[in-house]
Amino acid sequence: MIEVKNLKKEYRDDSVVTTALDGVSFTIKEGEFVAIMGPSGSGKSTLMHILGFLDRPSAGIYKFEGQGIDELNDDELAYIRNKRMGFVFQFFNLLPRTKVLDNVKLPLIYSQTSEEEKIEKTKQAIEAVELSQRINHYPNQLSGGEQQRVAIARAIVNNASVIFADEPTGNLDSRSGQKVMEILQNLNDKGHTIILVTHEQYTSEMAKRIIRLKDGQVLSDEIVSHRRVARDGLLK
Amino acid sequence: MRFKDSIKISFTALKANKSRTFLTMLGIIIGVGAVIIMMSLGKGAQGLILGQIQSIGANSIYIEPGSFDPKGGGSFTTSAIEEMTIKTLKIKDLESIRKDPLTDIAYPMVYGSGRIIYRNEDEKITFIGITSEAYEMDDWHAINGRDISEDDIRSTAKVTTLGHKIAEDLFGEEDPIGKTIRIKKTNLKVIGVMEERGMEMFQNFDEYVYIPITTAQKLLLGIDHLNAIAVRAESESAINPLIENIRLALRENHNIYNPEGDLSKDDFKVMSQVEAADMVKQVTGILTAFLSSIAAIALIVGGIGIMNIMLVSVTERTREIGLRKAVGARNKDILKQFLIESVALTLFGGLIGFILGLMFSLAAAIVLSRVLNTNWSFIMPFGAVVLAFGVATIIGLVFGIYPARKASKLNPIEALRHE
Repeated sequence: MIEVKNLKKEYRDDSVVTTALDGVSFTIKEGEFVAIMGPSGSGKSTLMHILGFLDRPSAGIYKFEGQGIDELNDDELAYIRNKRMGFVFQFFNLLPRTKVLDNVKLPLIYSQTSEEEKIEKTKQAIEAVELSQRINHYPNQLSGGEQQRVAIARAIVNNASVIFADEPTGNLDSRSGQKVMEILQNLNDKGHTIILVTHEQYTSEMAKRIIRLKDGQVLSDEIVSHRRVARDGLLK
Repeated sequence: MRFKDSIKISFTALKANKSRTFLTMLGIIIGVGAVIIMMSLGKGAQGLILGQIQSIGANSIYIEPGSFDPKGGGSFTTSAIEEMTIKTLKIKDLESIRKDPLTDIAYPMVYGSGRIIYRNEDEKITFIGITSEAYEMDDWHAINGRDISEDDIRSTAKVTTLGHKIAEDLFGEEDPIGKTIRIKKTNLKVIGVMEERGMEMFQNFDEYVYIPITTAQKLLLGIDHLNAIAVRAESESAINPLIENIRLALRENHNIYNPEGDLSKDDFKVMSQVEAADMVKQVTGILTAFLSSIAAIALIVGGIGIMNIMLVSVTERTREIGLRKAVGARNKDILKQFLIESVALTLFGGLIGFILGLMFSLAAAIVLSRVLNTNWSFIMPFGAVVLAFGVATIIGLVFGIYPARKASKLNPIEALRHE
């Protein structure tokens, strides 16, 4: 589903060139659970942005479900983001004065769906993250963990095939973090592809595969031998 | 994105900070309100003046020295000076007009000002020299004593009829009939007091003093020309042809060669109610447009305020914009969202401004009617409504497009990293 070949990303600031990605290659199939790890400056955020169609590479090939990013214009990228991708961020990024229901519904208003279908899908997504009883609450009435679960519901509301999670537990206590990882593992069991960026070793071991980056290049790409299951206990 | 959803998003954003929304709208409210008030009061003033003009009586024609072409853009000041200095209007002109079968009645006028003195009372007044036809044409007679008669004219009698208020001021409880008053060193006997008439055509008839024209010309003013001739046509359809005839006759009398009928070449002006009304409409129209334009400046300022606040709003919601783009909003979805917000601001502000302007104009009409003791009608020209809302929408679009475009062009990654 995701095919990356020799991906490069350079930033130019007047005459200073910063290389964020320096030739990254890998493939990710449907249903995988991949963690991307690396120290800061390794290029993992940049890679995540490009994979999520939020940025374009300077060179190299990126094919998502057979379509190359270079062949698609900005509106088409937005369309694919809307229909096939879901995003979970470290700082939740929920709309502040908006109910949980409308937060989760957000991606749907940019797609052509009937109002009944929107409500139906929204409710299902909220159920999947076990927050049905909070459907009319506002973000400031929720705990950090609950907010992140709302974000996950938003990510899956349009039945996205892949979920990009950027340090999803970075802003949570260990208890909430465990709950969030449990949900992500459940979703993966149901068939969603999960791509996770993290700097926490124990979080990355909840994935099935770890790609390590250093200085914009792939350092290692390995299957996780002893995978942690979040349901079984606290992260640490 | 459905239009309904765009509206919902925009309204949520506007409701989020109600006091800021209101303050931003204030410029538009004031601007639209001011324009509405200007146009309504302008129309009302026009109506009032036209009403006054209509009060001088149907089928009236008025001739004065000095040229004026209302359509040719003549100058008011020049014609005012001409009125005072041109001496070509004479009794001969009056006779030519009386000979015309289309004329019903015509009478001449001279006027001057001076002090009227009775014993210890004296007052500055305007006196008018007339003939007996004046009373007939205006259907206005003395309620005490008698009108000036043809004999008085022929004999240059030293008599006068007083306007109601002047009589009251000078004589109080006393009966003025038979008493002698003095104007410009001439003694005149009071033979009549006029019935009350009030204000017409912006002149207070109760404050004038009326004298036989011959007396006024010879003894008081020392002139032999006329200041005006008032004519009544015998029917409404006769007005225009009679005006033409008068122009031809007077040109001949005054030796003016004017075959093309260029009104600026005449040394007299012939006005009927219609021309006077046209003049009024033209002048009030220009005045209203001018005042409304000034009010429109408030709208421009309001628009700038809106652009300012929208820019602030975009900056504040940078993360939100980044998020929306991440979940699939295209550039034009973001543009639409912010543009709708600014148009909603201006339209809603326009509505409030309109309602306030309406209420103020209505209140003003009531107050002015009372103060001016006349009927100031409340008019809301439809054009003003359309203009106000149309302009409000345009302002929302014009001043909202820059912030909306800025928002739509934000890079989602940088936006999401924003404070």
